[in-house]
Amino acid sequence: MTDIVRTGFRPSRIAIYGVLLLACLVYLVPLIVMLITSFKTPMDIRSGNLLALPTDWTTIGWTKAWSEACTGVQCEGVKGYFWNSFKMTVPAVMISTLLGAFNGYVLSKWKFKGSDLLFGMLLFGCFVPFQVVLLPMAATLGKLGMANTTAGLVLVHVIYGVAFTTLFFRNYYVAIPDALVKAARLDGAGFFTIFFRIFLPMSTPIFMVSLIWQFTQIWNDFLFGVVFASGDSQPITVALNNLVNTSTGVKEYNVDMAAAMIAALPTLVVYIVAGKYFIRGLTAGSVKG
Amino acid sequence: MSQLELRDIRKTYPGALDETLKGINIDIASGEFLTLVGPSGCGKSTLMNSIAGLESITGGSIVVEGKDISTMEPKVRDIAMVFQSYALYPTMSVRENIAFGLKIRGMPKDEIQQEVERVADLLQISALLDKKPARLSGGQQQRVAMGRALARKPKIYLFDEPLSNLDAKLRVEMRTEIKKLHQRLKTTIVYVTHDQIEAMTLADRIAVLKDGELQQLGTPKEVYDTPENLFVAGFMGSPSMSFINVTVEQEGPGLVVNVEGSDGRKLALPVPDYLQGWVGKQVVLGIRPEHISQPDEQKRDSEMVAEARFTVEVTEPTGPDILAVIRLNNVDVQCRLDAEHPVNWGEEAELMFDMRKVVFFDPDSEKRIRP
Repeated sequence: MTDIVRTGFRPSRIAIYGVLLLACLVYLVPLIVMLITSFKTPMDIRSGNLLALPTDWTTIGWTKAWSEACTGVQCEGVKGYFWNSFKMTVPAVMISTLLGAFNGYVLSKWKFKGSDLLFGMLLFGCFVPFQVVLLPMAATLGKLGMANTTAGLVLVHVIYGVAFTTLFFRNYYVAIPDALVKAARLDGAGFFTIFFRIFLPMSTPIFMVSLIWQFTQIWNDFLFGVVFASGDSQPITVALNNLVNTSTGVKEYNVDMAAAMIAALPTLVVYIVAGKYFIRGLTAGSVKG
Repeated sequence: MSQLELRDIRKTYPGALDETLKGINIDIASGEFLTLVGPSGCGKSTLMNSIAGLESITGGSIVVEGKDISTMEPKVRDIAMVFQSYALYPTMSVRENIAFGLKIRGMPKDEIQQEVERVADLLQISALLDKKPARLSGGQQQRVAMGRALARKPKIYLFDEPLSNLDAKLRVEMRTEIKKLHQRLKTTIVYVTHDQIEAMTLADRIAVLKDGELQQLGTPKEVYDTPENLFVAGFMGSPSMSFINVTVEQEGPGLVVNVEGSDGRKLALPVPDYLQGWVGKQVVLGIRPEHISQPDEQKRDSEMVAEARFTVEVTEPTGPDILAVIRLNNVDVQCRLDAEHPVNWGEEAELMFDMRKVVFFDPDSEKRIRP
């Protein structure tokens, strides 16, 4: 137990909390504005203050955004694209995370000639901007016959994400003593048994890190989505853009805000559910025992 | 019949200029407890890993019960190993840790159950079976690690510095326990340590390694009393042997070497006749602390004893006795004095040199001069 003596509120404390509170507010204001605007009527938005609460609370913006708003020529809301995003994100996250775990296991525990070089080169993948791979990727997808499909988009995200996930897992596994692998080999376990029975079960924290990171990256991606998907397979980020840019008559800010909230919710939920592991995973290895 | 034969084991790491193991030859009998001892970097862990099959060797062969296993996979060698870091599987309970190897080998469930319980009884860890390793103390983790090795009843057990991570008191306790276990189970054990006391107390035989070469292989008594060379002599024993450069001289019918204290006082120490060929030449006198003590009436009759007064430079009381440092021929020499007759530093003490068990080395080859 730490024995910190509480000395009451001193001016320095008050100042610290004051600054922190202010910082929180600054960060929260956009979210608050989005949230209250999404529950306002268009009338309310035009007449009222940006920060004022709605005079009549209404969910019309949300229902419209979900199933009626126009995204280009179609007017079916974002719901189809929302599920598109899931169909793309879930497999891409799972595949890239599992591949990363496997790569990390090999690069940390089964080093071969040139494995460090390979890892170094893989790290370059983390610094390659999205734009650079657009053309080669488009050509590759075309050759594979996967252009404009969800599977193609998944492939792009897996390839792009594997550099990051490998880095996560490799650095996590490198801190685990090699003796564990030796012990398991003497116990008769092979390459895959050691991975699935010993390494994967103890990877929960870094698994969560990889999950949150990849989910956020892939769900929020716009560029790959707009380039490599078209029409029915587009993810929600692209749909949101189309919805906001489709101008027929009056701008419906409440619908825009609701759609943006819908697009942002899954990443928020993932962070809230797995967030405690995120911090734990990031600091894992720095504390032993 | 020997259980394990190491025949001219050589190992060079890829890209390394020097050999890590330079032709190691050791025969280990069934039920024997052999310790591999040496300073860090001497190749003892490499040798251990090679026996286990975790590293390949570049030359020689490893033979178990007459069968060459040099190129076999670790899992088919039937060898178990206990690691310094215990290497317990963190996500598994103690029970699962012990059962893991058995499960992989396809042992039926009820037999695994029996085997786990037998091992747990043996090591008194039955109460811990359902706990995770992280919740155990260092000593308990060590027991579990041993249990995991015992469970398979392998032909050979390898211990890689298993006690190094424990605190001093626990280390002594576990040392005794390992010895008891070995006496009860009569298993073949190869035990790596850098702690020469562990090596002395546990082993049937000790193999001293340095720079990938076997320096000496023998019983603890042989290694302690008749070290092959300066390195072994200095490495084994605590406090270690003192080395004094002396010249062999003829004096009457016998041979002597002269030593000079810090105050210029000289003493002629009788030396055995086998140094006849070294008269007029320099040799290194290796003398252990217990060879210099307070005068003992019973020893006085022997010809190989000399007495003189020397100034004590430092005293280190250990409880049962006092370690005192005197200076002879400009080197510090440790003596083991009786705690009942305390001496203070700076004072003179009457000391008796028992020359019956001292050893001599050739200063050029560093090898012991044999009788």
